[in-house]
Amino acid sequence: MSGSASLDLRLPIGGLFTTLGVIIGVYGIATNGSPMYAQSESINVNLWWGLVMLVVGVLMFVAGMRATRAVRASGMHETMESPEGRATERREHRSGLER
Amino acid sequence: MDIARMARLAPIDYVVMAVYFAAVLAVGWLLRRLMRTSTDFFLSGRSLPPWVTGLAFISANLGAQEVLGMGASGAKYGIATSHFYWVGAIPAMVFVGLFMMPFYYGSRARSAPEYLKLRFDEKTRTLNAVSFAVMTVFSSGISMYALGKLLNLLLGWSFDASILVSAVIVLLYIVLGGLTSAIYNEVLQFFLIVFGFLPLVWLGLVAVGGWHGLSTQLSALSVARGFPPDAYTHAWRTMGDASRNPIGVEWFGLVMGLGFVLSFGYWCTDFLVVQRAMAAESMTAARRTPLIAALPKMFFPFLVILPGMIALVLSGGGAGQGLIPAKLTAAGLPLLDGAGHPVLDYDLATPMLLIRLFPTGMLGLGLTALLASFMSGMAGNVTAFNTVWTYDIYQAHIRKGASDAHYLWMGRAATVVGIVLAIAAAYVASAFNNIMDMLQLVFAFVNAPLFATFSLGMFWRRTTGHGAFWGLLSGTIGAAVHHGLTLPAGAVPGIKGGYLGLMHTYPSELAQTFWTAITAWTTCMVVTIVISLVTRPRPDEELRGLVYALTPRQTDAEHSFWRRPVTLGVIVLIMTLALNFVFF
Repeated sequence: MSGSASLDLRLPIGGLFTTLGVIIGVYGIATNGSPMYAQSESINVNLWWGLVMLVVGVLMFVAGMRATRAVRASGMHETMESPEGRATERREHRSGLER
Repeated sequence: MDIARMARLAPIDYVVMAVYFAAVLAVGWLLRRLMRTSTDFFLSGRSLPPWVTGLAFISANLGAQEVLGMGASGAKYGIATSHFYWVGAIPAMVFVGLFMMPFYYGSRARSAPEYLKLRFDEKTRTLNAVSFAVMTVFSSGISMYALGKLLNLLLGWSFDASILVSAVIVLLYIVLGGLTSAIYNEVLQFFLIVFGFLPLVWLGLVAVGGWHGLSTQLSALSVARGFPPDAYTHAWRTMGDASRNPIGVEWFGLVMGLGFVLSFGYWCTDFLVVQRAMAAESMTAARRTPLIAALPKMFFPFLVILPGMIALVLSGGGAGQGLIPAKLTAAGLPLLDGAGHPVLDYDLATPMLLIRLFPTGMLGLGLTALLASFMSGMAGNVTAFNTVWTYDIYQAHIRKGASDAHYLWMGRAATVVGIVLAIAAAYVASAFNNIMDMLQLVFAFVNAPLFATFSLGMFWRRTTGHGAFWGLLSGTIGAAVHHGLTLPAGAVPGIKGGYLGLMHTYPSELAQTFWTAITAWTTCMVVTIVISLVTRPRPDEELRGLVYALTPRQTDAEHSFWRRPVTLGVIVLIMTLALNFVFF
């Protein structure tokens, strides 16, 4: 069986938002005061939204890291590959063939 | 359309897009070693936690057409568009989670058509499987075409390149990581869509002076269009009479047509969404999938409908209204209707607002969110297609009894073929626009009666295979006949209906759609019941686990009160009811 234990989804999502947050936030700092912000109601939306994404991204990534470490420590990912799991799959395949 | 093409992307915008592409491909790459059996590939090994399947459940449906279409409807009908969520989707999602999931998940069927095979017979399954497979290919083709056209219009990108690049990325991550990869990326895309559109609503509301400023300006516009002043900012107040609201429908047609028939038909039977719940790790997780999905879903009107309403009042200049440009004639002049008003290109409402409010940097994020919505919709269609093709058509009719490795290989091959067919459909759409309108119409006829078939199958043990099959067919024919005999106001007989003669005229196209669905559902219900009563039912022993009366109740006693699906369902319904009152 495959499993969520093998790749915690919060890791790639956290990584994506951390990266995007840094890129857009830094761009916001570099362009602070630029006339282009007239179109966004004089709000430096790059800076502010970059910060929001950075915070969300880091929180998600940390949560994903902690969960992954806990799973490794408990050895749960070993049982995901148990002989019983394989047997269940073979049974499902056979019953699928009978349909 | 020169105002539209003014959007210019800077290198930073392309960097944001590239980071997103890298992320979705990385997910597929990391999951590739986990795909060893066909169950892994088509059902994620039934191992995903409910928050993941729940977010994928709404994301698979959140294609570009939904995002653009809801913005367009927001501009056309105002806040009443949220009935699609608060009357339609949410109650249906609670119903499928609490009452139907025990049979989908509990029967161990691997697809919705396969449930029909277990419950009824081969012919009902095949009818549903073939129409569903054709439908998924064409609907991803249609949305691909819409995306290519939009990117060409806004950014001057090549139509071919836009289609090919996005299709190849989706293809790669599904072939590598199967349904798990599609679902993981749908969740990632869900967050990207939320984070791309939330600042749009924020800036939009700042620009129009908050909700108060928006409703003041919309009430002036509402009066100018001949409706009561609150028609655009209140969801129920003007629903008493079809002539007093822009949807052109009264509360009964709305609740029955949109709420009951169309939404229950889609959210409770469409394998595209049901597949996400089937991938869940346990029965409780499967039942909680649509309920968890309903929590963010009920707030989506603010994310996708509000931009359309804001675009309507934010000044843009040009021949249109607000930021929404007029459609152009072949000569490049604004297209005018009978009364001399310009015909608006509502589908551009949300993209125009994006370009108007987002500076370089955020513009890249907003366009990436649009691309993400397109890809999640397409991946949803493709994974549903490859499963139905492999299990319900190939394994059932072409090659029975092959090894599991063979079906896994077939799943990957079907993914490639499905995407190639969808690309072909996109080009057909660009060559013959009317053919696509016609196909979408036929799909609506095919889909409308489905909820009657599934609910009778699950809740009335006397229903027979013959009843289900003929009920489905006559429901579809009933829809076509109703559509052929009616027309929306101001339309000429043809693709809009009226091809069999004219018996009734509806105030709007949406009203006609709702009543077509009601006709289809009623016909299917009546025919299925009548034929079931005169044909031989299957013995009770064969129906255990497939029919309500013959399946042990889910007690959920092992779960704490707060984790039970019923508790969650009640919370969702109360919150939805509250939203209806707030915007009454």
